[in-house]
Amino acid sequence: MFLYSISLIGFLLLSCIVQQFLPSVSSWYDARILILPLIILCGSVTVSTGIMLILAYLGGFLWDAQQILSVTQGDPIVYQNSPDSLKFGYSIILYTLMGFLMQGIRPVFREGKWYLSAALTGVAIFLYLFVEYLLRGFVVGGFHSNDGMIQQIWASSVLTMLLSPVIFWILFRVADLCGHTIQYKN
Amino acid sequence: MKPLNFFALILFVAGLVWVFTLSEKSVRQIQKSYYSAISPLISKGSETEAFANKFLEEVEHSEDLEKQVQQVSEERDRFKLIAARVRELEAKNNELRNALNFKKKTQFDVVAARVIRKQPQMWGKTIEINRGTDDGFDADPEVDLCVLASNGGLVGRLQLSGEQISSVLLITDEISQVSARVEGTSEVGIVVGRQTTFGQTPRLRLRYLSKTAILRKGMKVYTDGRGKLFPANIPIGTIEDFEVGPVYGEAEIKPAVDFTNLRNVFVITDSTGD
Repeated sequence: MFLYSISLIGFLLLSCIVQQFLPSVSSWYDARILILPLIILCGSVTVSTGIMLILAYLGGFLWDAQQILSVTQGDPIVYQNSPDSLKFGYSIILYTLMGFLMQGIRPVFREGKWYLSAALTGVAIFLYLFVEYLLRGFVVGGFHSNDGMIQQIWASSVLTMLLSPVIFWILFRVADLCGHTIQYKN
Repeated sequence: MKPLNFFALILFVAGLVWVFTLSEKSVRQIQKSYYSAISPLISKGSETEAFANKFLEEVEHSEDLEKQVQQVSEERDRFKLIAARVRELEAKNNELRNALNFKKKTQFDVVAARVIRKQPQMWGKTIEINRGTDDGFDADPEVDLCVLASNGGLVGRLQLSGEQISSVLLITDEISQVSARVEGTSEVGIVVGRQTTFGQTPRLRLRYLSKTAILRKGMKVYTDGRGKLFPANIPIGTIEDFEVGPVYGEAEIKPAVDFTNLRNVFVITDSTGD
């Protein structure tokens, strides 16, 4: 269990690097494969709640270190209304919620129905991106719903979900190597 | 509750409290450390992205060519290709000439940079350029360095710098604010970016104008130099539309820079003009 958890954290760090090599698909709504969130979601269903919390925390922290935009503030006399942006750490909360969602079907996953979890990763990624988009709009105070946004989120979710069987396969192999039981035997 | 889960929960809550009480300076420091660590990989990642885009372009082009072969003779196609290549080279030549001219005529000390990656994030509007602390950019500046396009228009400002790359926050992002004035009037306001997604052209809004402002379509908007973030008199865009709100007037701005075809930019290293 311990060795497997350490391996998961290793995967998480590796996914930060791999993410840099995954471009958006400009010809398909600028869709992206979100490998780091995918590792968290797939990993969440294979471990206990405690490890899932640690995974969500580390993942959210790294994601925000990469994604949150921060700039120097100008003279407050001129820039009286400093721009609001999402607080560093918000992804930890979102990943935790998504982690709990994945854990909800863990008993089914442990019975060998991994494909349900794979489908749920797509739903979770969609919810994550949609909530993130709404939060950004809410904080900045300018929500604009449009088809492009929905298509971009939908396409990214599908693209990411398609990769989840591969991630599950890798996690099963790593679990075997580490002697960690993911599924009920017989 | 299992002891391990309880311990993890305590750790999680403590970590969460720590993260949400971090000061802006600490957050920026964390991001800078992260960016410095990952910047060599970003350079490699941008090469992968460029390769993938080129491959997709080639796929699209090859499909086009197949259709053309059915319609016209091989010889005509060949000439067409040559002509297209010449036009491409001509456009590139003009672009580089403009860039060179800009560097010569600008009043600022600038460093030319190539855009190596566009919008690496899902929502944030940023680009990455091939210049960093190795080129003399301060890793921890008091004021972010300003970035211009080859037509002199305002692109944005440096957000983070690694050794050989930097991240530029575009003025079209929602958290960007630029103090601006409208040419030929006494109107001043703040230009902010708008939330846009796939398929939408970048938009800007000029806020906090007076309700009685008389603004016409096509009027130019420039930085006004107030607030210490941007030097004065840099073109931002032109007015498209003006609306009067309950408290302030607000104008829609068409950016002076074509953000979709941005290839080369200039980083102002000294705006005093000395």
